[in-house]
Amino acid sequence: MKDGAVKKVAYEILGAAKKMAEQKGEPLCAVMIGKDVEGLAPGLGAYGAEKVYVIQGDSFARYTTGAFTKALCDLVKQEQPSILLFGASINGKDLSARASGRLGVGLATDCTEIGLDEAGNLKVKRPMFAGKVYAEVVFSDRKPQMASVRPNVLGLPEADESRKAEVVKVDVQVGPDDIGLEVVDFVEVGGGKIDLTEAEIIVSGGRGMKGAENFKILEELAEVLGGVVGASRAAVDAGWRPQSDQVGQSGKVVSPNLYIACGISGAIQHLAGMGTSKVIVAINKDPEAPIFKKADYGVVDDLFKVVPALTEEVRKLKAQS
Amino acid sequence: MEATRELFWNIGRQGLLTYLIMGIAVLILAYSLYERVSLWRRGQAEDRWDRVGERIKGVVVNIIGHWRVLREAYPGFMHLLIFWGFLLLLIGAALDAFDHYSGLHFLKGTAYLTFSFFLDLAGLAVIVGLLLALWRRYVTRPRALDNRPEDLFVLLLLLALVVTGFLVEGARIAVQAPRAPWERWSFFGWALGTSLFPQGQGSLLWHKVFWWIHLSLSFLFVAVIVQSKLLHILTAILSTFFRNLKPQAIKPIEDMEEAETFGVNRVEELSWVDLMQLDACTRCGRCQENCPAYLTDKPLNPKMVIQGIREVFQEQSKGLLQRMRSWGVEEQQPSTEEGKALAGELIEEDAIWSCTTCGACIEQCPVFVEPFPKLIEIRRYLALMESRFPSEVQVAFRNMENNSNPWGIGMHTRADWAKELGIKTLAEDREVEYLFYVGCAGSFDDLNKKVAEAVAKLLEAAGVSFGILGVEEGCCGDSARRLGNEYLFQIIAQQNIETMKGYGVRKIVTMCPHCYNTLKNEYPQFGGDFEVYHYTELFSSLVAQGRLRPSKPLDIEVTYHDSCYLGRYNGLYEEPRGILRALLGVKLVEMPRSRSRSFCCGGGGGRFWMEEHLGTRINHARFEDVQRAGARMVVTSCPFCLTMMSDAIKEKGMEEKHEARDLAQVLREAVGV
Amino acid sequence: MTGHHRCAKKALRYNSQSLRREEMDILVCLKQVPDTEADIRPTSDMTAIDYTGVKFIVNVYDEYAVEEALRVREKVGGKVTIVSLGPDRAVEAIRTALAMGADEAVHLNDPALLDGDAYTTARALAKAIEGMSYDLIFCGKQAIDDDLAQVGSILGELLGLQTVTGIMKFELVDDGKKARVHRQVEGGMDVLEVPLPAIFTATKGLNEPRYPSLPGIMKAKKKPLKTVSLGDLGLSEEEVGAKGALTKVVRYSLPPMRQAGTIIEGETPEEKASKLAKALREEVKVI
Repeated sequence: MKDGAVKKVAYEILGAAKKMAEQKGEPLCAVMIGKDVEGLAPGLGAYGAEKVYVIQGDSFARYTTGAFTKALCDLVKQEQPSILLFGASINGKDLSARASGRLGVGLATDCTEIGLDEAGNLKVKRPMFAGKVYAEVVFSDRKPQMASVRPNVLGLPEADESRKAEVVKVDVQVGPDDIGLEVVDFVEVGGGKIDLTEAEIIVSGGRGMKGAENFKILEELAEVLGGVVGASRAAVDAGWRPQSDQVGQSGKVVSPNLYIACGISGAIQHLAGMGTSKVIVAINKDPEAPIFKKADYGVVDDLFKVVPALTEEVRKLKAQS
Repeated sequence: MEATRELFWNIGRQGLLTYLIMGIAVLILAYSLYERVSLWRRGQAEDRWDRVGERIKGVVVNIIGHWRVLREAYPGFMHLLIFWGFLLLLIGAALDAFDHYSGLHFLKGTAYLTFSFFLDLAGLAVIVGLLLALWRRYVTRPRALDNRPEDLFVLLLLLALVVTGFLVEGARIAVQAPRAPWERWSFFGWALGTSLFPQGQGSLLWHKVFWWIHLSLSFLFVAVIVQSKLLHILTAILSTFFRNLKPQAIKPIEDMEEAETFGVNRVEELSWVDLMQLDACTRCGRCQENCPAYLTDKPLNPKMVIQGIREVFQEQSKGLLQRMRSWGVEEQQPSTEEGKALAGELIEEDAIWSCTTCGACIEQCPVFVEPFPKLIEIRRYLALMESRFPSEVQVAFRNMENNSNPWGIGMHTRADWAKELGIKTLAEDREVEYLFYVGCAGSFDDLNKKVAEAVAKLLEAAGVSFGILGVEEGCCGDSARRLGNEYLFQIIAQQNIETMKGYGVRKIVTMCPHCYNTLKNEYPQFGGDFEVYHYTELFSSLVAQGRLRPSKPLDIEVTYHDSCYLGRYNGLYEEPRGILRALLGVKLVEMPRSRSRSFCCGGGGGRFWMEEHLGTRINHARFEDVQRAGARMVVTSCPFCLTMMSDAIKEKGMEEKHEARDLAQVLREAVGV
Repeated sequence: MTGHHRCAKKALRYNSQSLRREEMDILVCLKQVPDTEADIRPTSDMTAIDYTGVKFIVNVYDEYAVEEALRVREKVGGKVTIVSLGPDRAVEAIRTALAMGADEAVHLNDPALLDGDAYTTARALAKAIEGMSYDLIFCGKQAIDDDLAQVGSILGELLGLQTVTGIMKFELVDDGKKARVHRQVEGGMDVLEVPLPAIFTATKGLNEPRYPSLPGIMKAKKKPLKTVSLGDLGLSEEEVGAKGALTKVVRYSLPPMRQAGTIIEGETPEEKASKLAKALREEVKVI
């Protein structure tokens, strides 16, 4: 049986887990915990879930470790799945860790590959040392064997809209002792924007931007990518962007999945601030710019033409999915 | 009547009171001096008694010869007049006394006339000098000067002293003139005497009056020396004698394991030399007018650093002086009142971190006061005791600790720049003549890796045997020490020394003046004695020897920017220029602020690792010098300077018109390797 | 705090039963890890990591934990104790935390404890902590070597405490009976009120860790550092370390070769943009 907490990664996991379930000859199930979520449940069938356990209630309106762990673990004790998978979102990681402690089982976090070994046990691959090394991890016999999966890595499976999952409602009682704390508020950060240091995608501008107004095109690209805008020291010094946007050794050190550097030459202090980004893209009309040596993808052209074009392309791609 | 002058003429036996009065003045002077010296001695120990011969020579050249004072024409000349004039007058008075009391009586006839003529000239010089000074201070009002009542007091006192001296002479001549026509030789006195005073006996009273006034003023002069600005007469000699003969090296903190406090935050934590220097400063303002931080509107003003500390020193000394003067036993334990904190309270932290350690303040000071080392001591306090520094500095410290370079780039990649070049490490082959100590910039910074490559290629072309330490090389530690983290510096330095000694390194060639200075002048503090050269030294001699032949004409107009650590710190001005002049098709224009007056690029003192939020940009200011010189290319031989100049060109959007290059790169192109 | 001040606070502590005492015993779980820039390579047989020449540091996230603990102690008084599981070399990291200002440390050092996983680590820490007095526990959100982010949560489960992961702001409320924290979630922060004792794992943005002062570094050498072995914990070999682990790494590999800088070619900027978007989606899957 499998579990997903966040929408898209759940589909990705279901896609990969389907093969595993077939291999093992066990049913592939999903778990949904929330306030009014059962309507979403049948849709998981399109991606391979046979059954969806739905646990609903006011206690699950907002995520709390206590409530969700109790719900999940009660279910697990009841249904005894052999493998339990999560999306490695912030709450997914939190929930899976607590559950592994309660259930006394092994958990691998943030996996990039999931599968089975010959004996039908879970076997995964996950990054360590901030992605410098990858590790193949195996599990003890204790069930369920658990793993959380990194979003955006497994790829979306084909959806078969004709298939609907069976919805099984499960009644779980959760009391204040289970929750053990109180959610009193929610604070939106940065006008809905994530902090640079935790952003997954950053579109950054440097001296080549030539002016504060021109950052608008970066903001548009960032928006369509779901990222945030950063700046090199040159742009901040010129007064085009605030100090809080500065990426670099004396600004913020960031490590996003995608870093697009526009009009940034790539001085060493800047590189020291984003060098561990998973993918670096450089757009600069100077072919000698040092940043091209560090970039995975480089476009030697006028950023004022490339960036808007890129925004369009991304928009198209996202509309497709 | 013979040409001579009678001692105490018209004054008679009362003249002997001179000795009593002046004796008292001298006693006051002596006691005041004793107090002052006692105050200095509250400071920490410091040994400045080495190389006495050199020290004495410095006093002769700078005090008598006014060498540094004369760097600025107007105030230099003005002060020369006052100083020499006064000195001559004093010598004259002494000669006069000697002439009388020794019984030799040689001051007569032509000798006397010559004597009197020169003394008049001297007195006139003093007056002219004083007038020039008054004009400068109160009419021209240069920014370098701040005016306090004591400035006016001293100028007027001196003026009054000399003028009354002339009036005495004038009155005497007025009386004696008819029988002493040779007094014309005392031309100024003669002029005054014949125009201002009634001729003949009528001036006897005037003479007496002015004589006593003159004596009183002399008494006042001597008595207030220590209490007034006149103290610089003595302290300038002392500060010149006890000057730092090795200003390039910052002094280490000894016994770091045992010490309880580090750095300086209270006046009494300074050394006695520092305290004495406070009293030598005459607020001439040359440090301020040459300070790159001050000139770009940072809150730092080296003159005010010294004066501010001096004020605190005065304040704190009051209590001690009171106790001393009450004839009681001198206090054994230090005062219980807490003095003002130097960091933050007296000097704002932004000012403390604004210093680039360019050394212009020390270079310019006519009396060898050292403003910036005190800032380093305060930085030490902030860094080591309170961990209080800009956040970028913390990043730089950690990076030096963990990856042996302030950028924090993986230390295992240190030798990557050399990978394709086939340069051997000492681990592979230690039988080389030179260790090429690359430094962090040459190893990790893209712009400067090209310079490292150029240096290596040139060394090869000249057939110099060299090797690098590769990944075993550690940061020289210059930035750590300049930022006050002496602990980190000593760890880094000792490690490097150990590695180098392990390979039996004797000669080192560097590409970075900071590394050069640290390795050459500071590593010996920890037992690291190597023969250290900067590539400009090596290459200039190789070019001269013909081992490097710059045959390719370049057709460029350049100006050379002197790096502070190469030039002011280590005197290497001509070597880089020698190289440039040996190149074909290179036209060298000099900026006015060049050589020892070179204007810092803004990167030194650890500032390269910090943000420049305040005032205007130092590197921009320097680049403006380049623009005014009209050269397309600015050539440097320092990685910091190269980066700062390149940045300035980019930031001002001048890439089409100007470029910055390192001398090694230019030479490489000319040699064609 | 000077000794004199501390005594006064202690008196307050024992005088009133009804008033929650102000002073707190704070624990910080700390791990020594390789430096972020270090060259991490597997051994030739790919079954282990080769640590030769690697520089070790205090886990970055644990620094935030230590710093926050120190700040709490500065506000209300008390004691900060470092608890760390690691080999001999971990002492250096522990001393760094002591140099920052922590008062004491407990070092779980036993070969049998090594090469475990998050569960065995949490189990050993829980055993050690059970016997200690604590009001508040801080951990780092994750260790930058294994990137597991589990120990804080499992530890809470084993000790019967709430664990709030990824906090960016912490303050004591209700006379020190509760903590009000901001927990990082997607799009913002949840504000939670948590009764103490509880565990909080720190993430970037919680604070700026202080740089140890030199007197701090010197004093750290003399601060109490207790070493605890397997026997002291009362656990068997099968429960901890390699023997007790529930997950195991069987093989390491290097990440897929990063195509060293592909320059996207194309006739027009639009064409290049299109190719780039495609590559980002399909090749590296970041959009």
